[in-house]
Amino acid sequence: MIKFLKQMVGGFSILLWVGAVLCWIAFGIQYTSNRSSSLDSLYLGCVLVLVVILTGIFAYYQEAKSTNIMSSFSKMIPQQALVIRDSEKKIVPAEQLVVGDIVEIKGGDQVPADIRLLSSQGCRVDNSSLTGESEPQPRSPEFTHENPLETKNIGFYSTTCLEGTATGMVINTGDRTVIGHIASLASGVGNEKTPIAIEIEHFVHIVAGVAVSIGIIFFIIAVSMKYDILDSIIFLIGIIVANVPEGLLATVTVTLSLTAKRMAKKNCLVKNLEAVETLGSTSIICSDKTGTLTQNRMTVAHLWFDNQIFVADTSEDHSNQAFDQSSGTWASLSTIIALCNRAEFKPGQESVPIMKKVVVGDASESALLKFSEVVLGDVMEIRKRNRKVAEIPFNSTNKFQLSIHETGNPDDKHFLVVMKGAPEKILERCSTIMVDGQEKPLVKSATEAFHTAYMELGGLGERVLGFCHLYLPADKFPENYSFDVDTMNFPTSNFCFVGLLSMIDPPRSTVPDAVTKCRSAGIKVIMVTGDHPITAKAIAKSVGIISAGSETVEDIASRLNVAVERVNKRDARATVVTGMELKDMSPEQLDEVLTNYSEIVFARTSPQQKLIIVEGCQRQDAVVAVTGDGVNDSPALKKADIGIAMGIAGSDAAKNAADMVLLDDNFASIVTGVEEGRLIFDNLKKTIAYTLTKNIAELCPFLIYIIAGLPLPIGTITILFIDLGTDIIPSIALAYEKAESDIMNRKPRHKKKDRLVNAPLAVYSYLHIGLMQALGAFVVYFVVYAQEGFRPGALIGLREEWEKDHVNDLEDSYGQEWTNYQRKYLQWTGYTAFFVGIMVQQIADLIIRKTRRNSIFQQGLFRNKVIWVGIASQIVIALILSCGLGSVRALSFTTLKPQYWFVAVPFAILIWVYDEVRKLLIRLYPGSWWDKNMYY
Amino acid sequence: MVIQKEKKSCGQVVEEWKEFVWNPRTHQFMGRTGTSWAFILLFYLVFYGFLTAMFTLTMWVMLQTVSDHTPKYQDRLATPGLMIRPKTENLDVIVNVSDTESWDQHVQKLNKFLEPYNDSIQAQKNDVCRPGRYYEQPDNGVLNYPKRACQFNRTQLGDCSGIGDPTHYGYSTGQPCVFIKMNRVINFYAGANQSMNVTCAGKRDEDAENLGNFVMFPANGNIDLMYFPYYGKKFHVNYTQPLVAVKFLNVTPNVEVNVECRINAANIATDDERDKFAGRVAFKLRINKT
Repeated sequence: MIKFLKQMVGGFSILLWVGAVLCWIAFGIQYTSNRSSSLDSLYLGCVLVLVVILTGIFAYYQEAKSTNIMSSFSKMIPQQALVIRDSEKKIVPAEQLVVGDIVEIKGGDQVPADIRLLSSQGCRVDNSSLTGESEPQPRSPEFTHENPLETKNIGFYSTTCLEGTATGMVINTGDRTVIGHIASLASGVGNEKTPIAIEIEHFVHIVAGVAVSIGIIFFIIAVSMKYDILDSIIFLIGIIVANVPEGLLATVTVTLSLTAKRMAKKNCLVKNLEAVETLGSTSIICSDKTGTLTQNRMTVAHLWFDNQIFVADTSEDHSNQAFDQSSGTWASLSTIIALCNRAEFKPGQESVPIMKKVVVGDASESALLKFSEVVLGDVMEIRKRNRKVAEIPFNSTNKFQLSIHETGNPDDKHFLVVMKGAPEKILERCSTIMVDGQEKPLVKSATEAFHTAYMELGGLGERVLGFCHLYLPADKFPENYSFDVDTMNFPTSNFCFVGLLSMIDPPRSTVPDAVTKCRSAGIKVIMVTGDHPITAKAIAKSVGIISAGSETVEDIASRLNVAVERVNKRDARATVVTGMELKDMSPEQLDEVLTNYSEIVFARTSPQQKLIIVEGCQRQDAVVAVTGDGVNDSPALKKADIGIAMGIAGSDAAKNAADMVLLDDNFASIVTGVEEGRLIFDNLKKTIAYTLTKNIAELCPFLIYIIAGLPLPIGTITILFIDLGTDIIPSIALAYEKAESDIMNRKPRHKKKDRLVNAPLAVYSYLHIGLMQALGAFVVYFVVYAQEGFRPGALIGLREEWEKDHVNDLEDSYGQEWTNYQRKYLQWTGYTAFFVGIMVQQIADLIIRKTRRNSIFQQGLFRNKVIWVGIASQIVIALILSCGLGSVRALSFTTLKPQYWFVAVPFAILIWVYDEVRKLLIRLYPGSWWDKNMYY
Repeated sequence: MVIQKEKKSCGQVVEEWKEFVWNPRTHQFMGRTGTSWAFILLFYLVFYGFLTAMFTLTMWVMLQTVSDHTPKYQDRLATPGLMIRPKTENLDVIVNVSDTESWDQHVQKLNKFLEPYNDSIQAQKNDVCRPGRYYEQPDNGVLNYPKRACQFNRTQLGDCSGIGDPTHYGYSTGQPCVFIKMNRVINFYAGANQSMNVTCAGKRDEDAENLGNFVMFPANGNIDLMYFPYYGKKFHVNYTQPLVAVKFLNVTPNVEVNVECRINAANIATDDERDKFAGRVAFKLRINKT
């Protein structure tokens, strides 16, 4: 409701209210002096109020449609909690918990409050919504870290317990929980005005300033010319109505929502209409890594066996595994990969492509499963053939996983022990190594080769696993041997090392292109991730956030073989900043980092630090876009100029705090959004230029009327019919205009320098095209009067006699005498003529506004079909008003003789030609005086 | 982003304005250097000069379509309006018999209005035409041949002519004369070859009662066809508009009387809903006597 009222008084509405009140005052004065006075002023006042209310309702409706308010924080309250009170286990609603309560949680539960763990059995929690860590976090009673977010003995409200059970004491409830804190932090970060809102406000100020100052100047002139106050007030109303582009704000809203729709088709769902443009002016994007830049799926990237590193295909469909699969070593390795794995496909997915199948199991196991399924074929069949007899699952003390299988060969009664795990742990248990299918003793050179490969793969930021196997001698381990995994009654050393395999969450294939596009568009892409710096850097390099040629200080140091401190920081273009370093930085130091390096990766950052980074960027006067998915991202999302939440991975809180939701979680979609945003800014410029132009043509009649005393050339109601009738569809049509050049090849607009409405735009619209329109419309007006008997010379100073009701024998240039009504009718014909004159020239104006720099013929006259719909609508509306409604007196339109529709055509052509010349000179002499003054 | 609204001190604002008006570093006056201003002024001089020329040219071309002696269209003037003299604010004729000043201005106006109708002037300038038929003056091959006008002598107005009239058109005695005239319309053949006259009546019944008797000059309120057609002020220089004078003889004093006069002519409709003065004229008459 308050928002609605705001729409009613914001912007131009206030001016129109003033106009309406003035109308009623004028009517009041008229009425008290003469009871039978006309009701025109009363009507006009009502029409103005109606216009304000209708546009207000319209804008409010548009706004409400696109903002859907989700109260997600309240939705997150866990329903029930198992609490021990009075030595009894009770189930109570979670909001009844108090500090000191002992609660029990088990796998699948949501943690009902912030709790400190008292005991736990294999408890793991999913903290991703809070901290962004996607791995399940073990929880145990030990205190491990000063930071409550890092220590293992705290379970957080709203996170989920994945497995195990735990008992804990409630330490915080409700708003005092960590998540409640973030929620209040998010709501505490004020909603900043969007850049486009600032631009529109700026524009409203300009137009209102012009309207009010011209209004007041002419009010004073009118009074000093001895017009009576009543007339002066009516002039003032006319000037205000002529100056205010009544339809513009509605047009802007429609334009924005059209773009929002177009963006939604490209997977950018815009919640706040104005954010459409914000994205276009974005100069820094702080992007998450996981899921946004990457596929959010561990994938096998490299293999090492036979002393060689092989590259696996990490593209989205894995189709092209081109490494050498003929070696005997590969046969052994692939068997281990397939067998030493607990992950399974969920049943019932036969028709789903392998990479899309849902897997039960952790991230790396599923990666291996999918990898072997692609390479080997049906893994389940292989596992069936090699029946599993025993297994030791992975745990953090062993750091390996082991399973014992029958060999697939019925004649071969050996058991096969397969093991995978952390490479160094695996190597410790090996005495031989397999090369080209042959078992060789593990000599020093082989160990060195292993270490080199391990380092190299690790250096790529990949998670490396080692694989080994052992055939158990059939005599010691007969077919019916019973394996006991607790006592380990089988060998766990002297294995044969087979190979290494490394996995990574690979970048999405569209991202590198998108990053390049951002770079050419002058947008800095900063990666902010909770991941390890090495992984972060590797991904940053592979997607181009750190471009091929640039080095960090550390890179330079290792290349030159000098200490890091001795490297000149200015030589490095890229940097990787970890959360720990960030914590110790002062804001000034952060600013320095942000300005000095063009390629920045923040690694190991906590989500809270994201907010600091965003603030740092904003201090550089940048428009910052931030992506995020967790609850803890919501303050940063709110703080950012445009917060982008992930549609798939994002939590409700993040979506709620964001201005935009990325439906496919893909970074590349942001870039298409940026493109749309930039286009809409350009097109809004065109729309505004188009709309402002005719204001002069509407204003001049009043000024001339006051000064030269002509019969009024155009009425206020007629003006409203232009602003809210003929001009609406054309100005929306400009939103469909294609970009003039590659908008992704220029810098983002500067918030404070590249204004939506700048001086050249206003001057060119008002003083060039607008003036031409005024002249053209006046020609039509004069012609109508002259052909009816009043030559232009006779009109000057005629106003006073003309408007007297009792003068019914006013003489024209030929000596004929006119009654009051005959004159009124002629005056309305004049209005209609002036209206048609403006309309005809607005067609030319519409066409020239298609481009700002290029020739219309370069842009293509017919490419934007909507423009032609707009032109048709102009003509049809004008025809309806003139011919159809010509007999409705209150509208003051009359049916015009056909030839008058063409009188303004020469001026329309002049407008077109003049603008083509302007554009030609701008293209010929870039940077010249002409360019500076005439390019808007 | 925290909006930093730096409060500028008054001095800073003045300083900024000063710098805007004249920036000594860049030699900019109001944000532009001298050459830039020169360019701008020159540009607008040329540009507006061109626009003026363009406007003048199109206006000139368009005005070629308009002839000097007849307007291109007369569709609005199909029905000529009627009007009264004396012409007063709101068309009310108020006469305070005892208060000379209340009607003296009417009399002055009427004197001036009727001066061109003086017989001497009419005889000198205008023709004596044959009554009862239009005084047509075709060009006969001579383009825009000047037209003659018919005489309408002041004496035709009888008691209302005001010649040697001590009662000042009856205003001093409370028997005022009101003159009715029909609007001039070029080439309009009023009456469609049949005689026409003006009649007056009270608007409502009580008005009719209060109005009392009146006499009209020329008799019957006739308007003769010979005064038509009108050829326009440029070629029909001495055209004398026919008049009908109405002398109200015994208006009920101290009451406002609504009088309506209309023309009875074959081709003049007097029932236009919107135009209250098409073929008719309504005015208020009030004679105040103490």
